[in-house]
Amino acid sequence: MKFGFVRVLLLIAALFVAIPVHAEQRNFYKIGVITELSGDLVTGGNITKRGYDLWAQEVNAKGGIEVQGKKYQVKLVYADAQSNPAAGAAAAERLITQEKVDFILGPYSSGVTLAVAPVVDKYKVPMITGSAESPLIWKNKFKYTFGTIPPINFTGATSIKTLTELKPAPKTIAIIGSNDAFSKATAEAYKTAAEKAKLKIVKFSIVPSGQDMTPLLSAVRSMKPDVIAFGGHDEEHVKFVKALKQIGYTPKALLMHCGITDKAFTDAVGKDGEQIFGTTCWTGTAKTKSKVLWPTASAYAAASQKAFKNPGDYTQGGCSAAGIAFQTALQKVGAKPGMDEAMRAKLVQALEQIDVQTFYGRVKFATSGEFYHANVGLDPLTIQIQNGQIKTVGPKASVEAAAQYPMKDWKSR
Amino acid sequence: MMELLPQALTDGILLGGIYITIAIAFSLTYGVMHVIDFAVGEWIMFGAFTGYYLNKWTGLDPFIFLPVIFVIYFAVGYLVQPVIHRVLSGTKGNPFLMGLVFTFGLAIMFRGLALTAFGFYSNSIPSAFSEGSFNLDSIGLTVTIPTVRLMGLAYAVAITLILHYLLKKTNFGLGVRALAQHKDAAGLMGVNAKRTGSYVYGIYVGISAMTGVLLGCILSIGAQMGNEYTIFAFFVVVLAGMGYLAGVPWAALLLGLVQSIFMIYFNPSHTLLAVFVILYIILLISPRGLFGKGV
Repeated sequence: MKFGFVRVLLLIAALFVAIPVHAEQRNFYKIGVITELSGDLVTGGNITKRGYDLWAQEVNAKGGIEVQGKKYQVKLVYADAQSNPAAGAAAAERLITQEKVDFILGPYSSGVTLAVAPVVDKYKVPMITGSAESPLIWKNKFKYTFGTIPPINFTGATSIKTLTELKPAPKTIAIIGSNDAFSKATAEAYKTAAEKAKLKIVKFSIVPSGQDMTPLLSAVRSMKPDVIAFGGHDEEHVKFVKALKQIGYTPKALLMHCGITDKAFTDAVGKDGEQIFGTTCWTGTAKTKSKVLWPTASAYAAASQKAFKNPGDYTQGGCSAAGIAFQTALQKVGAKPGMDEAMRAKLVQALEQIDVQTFYGRVKFATSGEFYHANVGLDPLTIQIQNGQIKTVGPKASVEAAAQYPMKDWKSR
Repeated sequence: MMELLPQALTDGILLGGIYITIAIAFSLTYGVMHVIDFAVGEWIMFGAFTGYYLNKWTGLDPFIFLPVIFVIYFAVGYLVQPVIHRVLSGTKGNPFLMGLVFTFGLAIMFRGLALTAFGFYSNSIPSAFSEGSFNLDSIGLTVTIPTVRLMGLAYAVAITLILHYLLKKTNFGLGVRALAQHKDAAGLMGVNAKRTGSYVYGIYVGISAMTGVLLGCILSIGAQMGNEYTIFAFFVVVLAGMGYLAGVPWAALLLGLVQSIFMIYFNPSHTLLAVFVILYIILLISPRGLFGKGV
C-alpha cells in the first residue's frame, strides 16, 4: 500500500517534470497579464491593467505588431494575483502551462513580482513589469524579468536633493515606510539619500501596512522635523495626510512617492494634497518624443483621458511602455506568435539590447550591476501638487514650476 | 520620551474608541444569533460609501446622515437576517460552520459588488469635524485631541450606553438576553426568536454602517476596506469574550492602548505582532476572554 502511494507520488512528480511549455500555432500574440485585481492593492492593480489595456488597444487599432512584413494582433489574458504573492506565483504557472502565453506583463506590486519572477525564470518565459520598483527584484538578477520603472533607490535621491536645495534649507527629516517590499524600499532609499545630503534623521520607522499611524505621527510631531517622507500605497497616502492634519502638524515639506501623481489622490484629499512633493520619472507633460504608438507624453495622456476619463499616472504609463518594449524586441528578433523556448531566449537577448524612445521616455534595460534588467534610461523627477496639477519642480533641467515651500499650514488652506 | 506618554495614552484611548464602534454590535449579534458574521467589515464599507455619496450629492456634513444611514441599513439587516437564520437553523451538517461559510461568502460577494459599483480608488469623506483639534498645551500637557476622533469616542460611548439601556432596561432587551441564554426556553416564554433575531441583526448592520461613515471621516474608504475591520472586530470580540458585550469597551481600549504605546516606545513594525502575542497570552490564561465570561 505504502509502495503504491509512493509510486503515485512519483508518477505525479514525473508528470510535472515532463510537462514542457509547448509552443502553439496561432496568428496573434497571447500575452499573460498578472496583476492585483482584488485585495488591498486593487487600485494599483487596476491602474496597471489600464496601462496594459491601452497599449493592446492602440496596437490592435493599428492592425497589430508588424513582424517580417505581417501584422499580428495582441490578446491579453488576465490572471488575478489577489494582492497575494502566492496567488501571483500560481497565476504565473497557470498562464504559462495552461494558457501557453508568449510572454508576460507583470504585476503592480514588488511583493507579487518577487514571487512571480522565479516562476518565469523556471519556465523561461520573459516578463516585463510596468510597475514594480523594489531594488530587491533587480538585485536577485532574474534572467527573464525586466521592469520599465526605475527602482526607487535609482529615483529617490533626486527628490531629497531637490528639497535640500530649497530656501531655507531643511535640516531634519522623519522617514516612515509601510511594511511591504516597495514602501519599505522607498523609505530606505529616502534614508540613504538623506544621510548623503547630511539631513538629520530624527525618526525612521517601518509600520505594518494599512495601520492607523496617528500615534506614531504624534511622536514625530514632538520632534518637529522639517521634512516628513513617507513610502506607502494609495490608501495609506490618504490616511497619512488626514492623520497629519488631524494632529495639526504641518512640516515644511511633505514628501511621498509617485502614488500621489494619480488624479484620484487629489480627488480624495482635496486641498490638503496641495504642495505635497513626490518622486516620479514621468508625468503627462514630460517632454518626450517617440515614433512608436504615441508621439509624446501629452498624446498618451489625451488617449488615456479619452479611454478612462483619467490622464493616467506614471504607473499606467510604465505599463504601456512595457508593451512597447516587448513590441520593439519582437520586431528586432522577428519573433512570431507561438514562440518556443529558443525564441523566447532570443527575445530576452533582444530586450537586453533595445534602446528605444517612447512617450514614457527612453527605455534601456541595464544588463549588469544592482539595476540588472531595470530601466535605467529615464531621469527621475521631483514633482509637487500645485492647484491640483502635477508640476515638475526638480531637477533644474526639467523644472516646470518653482517649488512652493514651506508648505502652507493645514488650517490656512 | 516620557513626555510623550500623555499623548500615547490619549491616542490609545481614541483608537480604542474606534475599535468599540467596530466591535460592539458584532459582539451583540454573536451573543444572540451565535453567528460570527465575517461580513461585518463589508457592512462598514457599505455605510462608508453611502455617507460618501450622500455628502457628495448634498454637500452636507456626513454626520448629519447618521440617523438616515442607520434606518436604511437597519432595514437591510432586518431583511437579510431571515436568510442567515435559515442557514443556522438547518438540520443538515453543522449549522455553526454553515453560518461561518455563509457570511464569509456574503463578504466576498459584497466586496466584488462594491468593486464593480464604487470602483477601485481609495477615497475620503470630508467633514467639518476633520478640520480642528483640541490642544492641551495650556494646562501643561503636550496633547492634541483631533475633534473627529473625539467624536468617534463620543459615538462609541453613546452606542455602548444605548445598547446597555436597551438590553437591561427594556422588555425587548429582556427578550434578547433570554434568547442569548437559551433559545428554546426563551421561545417557550413567548420570545419570538425569528423577529427578535431580525431586530438584533438590523441594529447590528445599522450601527456598523454608521461606523463606516465615521471611519471614512477619520481614515479612508475603499471597496476592499472591510477585511481589515473584520479582523479587528474579531480580535476585540475574542479578547472581550465571545458574546460578552460588557467586555467589548475594555478589550477595545486595551487593544488601542497596546497599539499606541508599542508604536511610540517600541518597534512600530512589530505592533501587530505585539497585539497577537498579548491576545494569545490572555486566551492562554483565560480562554473565555479578559473577564472569563465569553461563550
